[in-house]
Amino acid sequence: MVESLFPSIENTSESSPESRRKKPRISEMAEIESRRINEESLKRWKTNRVQQIYASKLVEALRRVRQRSSTSTETDKVVSGAAREIRETADRVLAASARGTTRWSRAILASRVRAKLKKHRKAKKSTGNCKSRKGVTETNRIKLPAVERKLKILGRLVPGCRKVSVPNLLDEATDYIAALEMQVRAMEALAELLTAAAPRTTLTGT
Amino acid sequence: MLEGLVSQESLSLNSMDMSVLERLKWVQQQQQQLQQVVYQSSNNSHELLQILQFHGSNNDDLLQSSFSPFQMLGSGFGPNYNIGFGPPHEAMDECISRTSSCHMEPVDTIEVLLKTGEENRAIALKNKRNPEVKTRGEEKTEKKIKVEAETESSMKGKSNMRNTEASSDTSKETSKKASEIQKLDYIHVRARRGQATDRHSLAERARREKISKKMKYLQDIVPGCNKVTGKAGMLDEIINYVQCLQRQVEFLSMKLAVLNPELELAVEDVSVKQAYFTNVVASKQSIMVDVPLFPLDQQGSLDLSAINPNQTTSIEAPSASWETQSQSLYNTSSLGFQY
Repeated sequence: MVESLFPSIENTSESSPESRRKKPRISEMAEIESRRINEESLKRWKTNRVQQIYASKLVEALRRVRQRSSTSTETDKVVSGAAREIRETADRVLAASARGTTRWSRAILASRVRAKLKKHRKAKKSTGNCKSRKGVTETNRIKLPAVERKLKILGRLVPGCRKVSVPNLLDEATDYIAALEMQVRAMEALAELLTAAAPRTTLTGT
Repeated sequence: MLEGLVSQESLSLNSMDMSVLERLKWVQQQQQQLQQVVYQSSNNSHELLQILQFHGSNNDDLLQSSFSPFQMLGSGFGPNYNIGFGPPHEAMDECISRTSSCHMEPVDTIEVLLKTGEENRAIALKNKRNPEVKTRGEEKTEKKIKVEAETESSMKGKSNMRNTEASSDTSKETSKKASEIQKLDYIHVRARRGQATDRHSLAERARREKISKKMKYLQDIVPGCNKVTGKAGMLDEIINYVQCLQRQVEFLSMKLAVLNPELELAVEDVSVKQAYFTNVVASKQSIMVDVPLFPLDQQGSLDLSAINPNQTTSIEAPSASWETQSQSLYNTSSLGFQY
């Protein structure tokens, strides 16, 4: 529905990555994955099509969020709560756009399910595990070289990549960065449009 | 003579219907011919022969191991070879995939290790090292997967030892150590002159090259990474950039949370939609370029013609509470964003 409204946007330099994605390869998944991520992730998050898909999905999701929380009263606290919801929605939409090919996208999509389960098991056993984990890392932390420490930090930043091997982690980070850039661009465009439209609508309303 | 070998092989390779017995015989033929060639000809840097064999009783073993990339410089033989040699055996799905996946670009130097399980001999050809070849070799290196080697470690246990034997033998034979073990199931690494050729260091070198290649990709995408050298500095920049992007997303989501009530109204407006999607696409070309505010004209409809392709999505929100935050954030991040 929304796509019919797209103006004819000419493809500048980026062609659609789908042809590249469907390239040869019934071969090993790891090889495809790494090569695809490396060569295509930089391109695939930049194409018109991906951006439009993400933009339209984002709009739809945000509208649904708004409807869900429309009954609550608007206070400052609710804004931050709504902000969190919107961020999670945006992340989910981003992960959905990745079509489950990357690890972080699967982790984002899975975390929602896990968060719901956590509410039921909140008071149970997590504290004990945390302590034991902390003790281990405390004693081992001193000796880790700088590079490995930073790799761990990077692993914590990219969702779902804490225990991933180094080359895979770098691949995931590449794709994640490209996806985040696209997300930022789309949200900016949406925000700007809304800020530009808001005064207009209020003007017409009043 | 080698041309004869090549032609013969091309014929045999192109026939996918080769039975296992035929293949075995052919491989043995190649061995004999190779041995002759090795003993007769001097090091010809333009010809590479390599056969690795494991004569197992298994068909699987044979198919996996018998792999001969005969490559001539500049010939398109490589790709043909690849396709033709894909073992049609159904049980060798993995093997098929591996063979079809490795791009045999014409390479100048390949080390040849020829072994026969029965005869327990190793013949290796080492050619002079070419700098160009080295880069291509590195490309090949990265295309090989360690998993392959690991999964077949049981079968290759003996062959590994023989490999090292062979390499050590050949290292004694030839002065130059430019060697690339090219086998279908192994990691392809290049041992440079004067460096260790034992198994572990080769594997580690391959791993390091893979990692450095991926860091290069990251370097391309993260702005400001070119100025820093070394893995630690680059990782610092990368972490900083990811955190910056995540903070931006948070900030934008806060902004959208405020603006959300207008979303419904705005979405129904067709012109707004069009502007939105052009903006999204247009902003991909230049991000974070500071441009004066998107004109709020009094016409009551967004003027699409006013949207330049170079226009950004800079934020000058009407509400004062956003202003300082947005400007500070975008000023700092605009320095880093380069498209």
